[in-house]
Amino acid sequence: MKPKILTVDDSKTIRLIVTKAFKTFDCDVFEAANGVEGLAVASREQPDVIILDLTMPIMDGAEMLSKLKTHPDLRNIPVIMLTAEAGRENVLKIAKLGVRDYLIKPFKEELIVERVGRVIDLKPKGETTVRNRRFDDPLNLLVVDDKPAIIDQIKSGFGETTWTTHGRSQTGEAVDYCSQQLPDLILVSLSLPDSGGFTLFQMLKASSKTKNVPVFGLSVKTAADEQARAQQAGFQGVITKPIDFEELKSKIARALHLDTSYKYFEQREGVLVLKLPATFTTNVANEVTHHLRNKVAEAVDAGLDRMVLDLSQLKAADVSVIKLGLSAMQLCQDLSLKHRVIGSEAVSKECRNYEESKDWHFVASFEEAVAAFKQG
Amino acid sequence: MIEDLEQLVSSAVTEVMTTMMSFKVQPTKEAINFSTGEGHLASAVGFIGKTTGVVYLYASNRFARLMTSRLLGLEDAEIEGDEMVNDAMGEMANMVVGHIKSRLVDRGMACVLTIPSIVRGSNFSIEPVSSAERRVYFFNCDQDRLGVEVMLKHS
Repeated sequence: MKPKILTVDDSKTIRLIVTKAFKTFDCDVFEAANGVEGLAVASREQPDVIILDLTMPIMDGAEMLSKLKTHPDLRNIPVIMLTAEAGRENVLKIAKLGVRDYLIKPFKEELIVERVGRVIDLKPKGETTVRNRRFDDPLNLLVVDDKPAIIDQIKSGFGETTWTTHGRSQTGEAVDYCSQQLPDLILVSLSLPDSGGFTLFQMLKASSKTKNVPVFGLSVKTAADEQARAQQAGFQGVITKPIDFEELKSKIARALHLDTSYKYFEQREGVLVLKLPATFTTNVANEVTHHLRNKVAEAVDAGLDRMVLDLSQLKAADVSVIKLGLSAMQLCQDLSLKHRVIGSEAVSKECRNYEESKDWHFVASFEEAVAAFKQG
Repeated sequence: MIEDLEQLVSSAVTEVMTTMMSFKVQPTKEAINFSTGEGHLASAVGFIGKTTGVVYLYASNRFARLMTSRLLGLEDAEIEGDEMVNDAMGEMANMVVGHIKSRLVDRGMACVLTIPSIVRGSNFSIEPVSSAERRVYFFNCDQDRLGVEVMLKHS
């Protein structure tokens, strides 16, 4: 359920500023122009936090707050007071009213988000849909490294993807960037001067806006101490240099819950096809295994009863390919799906060398597989 | 008599214009030219107590729209009529005077603020009664100019 924020202010301007400040977060903002309206909205919506102006006509913030505190259903709602008067006397008066926090006008948007973020769990909008994004959807990645060559290397490594890489060489520049645009994922060098990478990580996690953005550390393979420190600090993971881009892409996909199943699975002419790429790496094995059960179950739910294991692009078959094939076939048997295997003569020959796959019956194409299904 | 009034006003205007609207603020001796025929706007907030007075913020209508646009993060076309500009300018005056008031209260000059009001027109001037102390300050805000007039009546 989305958190609810109530802004009570006689100034439409302030209500608009507050509403705009939370526009990028998954929350509902309600407005009221004075204390009377504020109490009515609070009773109706039961907000998770109230941002309350002090000086208002009809009923001011102090009176509304005292009424809130005597209402059994509303007394525990945290209140953040907003006031244009920063004098010592006023601040003391506010503190005595029993508010959770207070803000002095003028204020920056980030500050109000920060204060509200201390009271409720603010999540950036679209985080729920992030889980449904595909690997080939555009992503916005931020790389913070004082070595331009590393930033260039990462940009080039993601060259074939639809991902955009933004490079920043200093932590201050990275913070500025995040205040204007929310990256999907951040890669931070752990060897920035004065432990800058760790300081930046703490700042990112302390901010409501960026606290849910996965942050990976970048480190030279041999720098074990800083890698251990990063794990301890709570980094999502550490990417070691020289960078293995296949591994990095796979880690990013997992961190952002990107759907990679389309790379391997498709439904074609009433048949579920599991197609393996030319090179079968550990990452491919992990990704296919991760999706296998769900994709087969989905196919059964959709009324399909046939599956093809397509090894036609595979350059070579080894034990890991055989193991994956056996898992897929076992799953088909469990769910009463018929299956066929497509593959080249060379792959077929390699499979015959293993006891577990020596009896696999290969066909040359998808059309042949469909014909074979018809023949039973 | 508030001896550092200029400093108080300057600090309040700079704080509000910089924090909320990212303007570069510079005090200037050059006044606003009200005789150009261009429409102008004055937003006012008063304070009543041990020190009584009123603070007016002057700007051209065009500059007032620009401030509103920056304050609300909207494009000019998204500003819905004069009411939105009035409210934004009233809130600006409230913040500037709130800042000044806080300093006065800290010095034992307790007072309360009034609700903001707006005056629009061209070629207008505001004259104080003879017993009031009147000060006028101007600030360059990027390419535009903001006027601040303070009228004080000491009890």
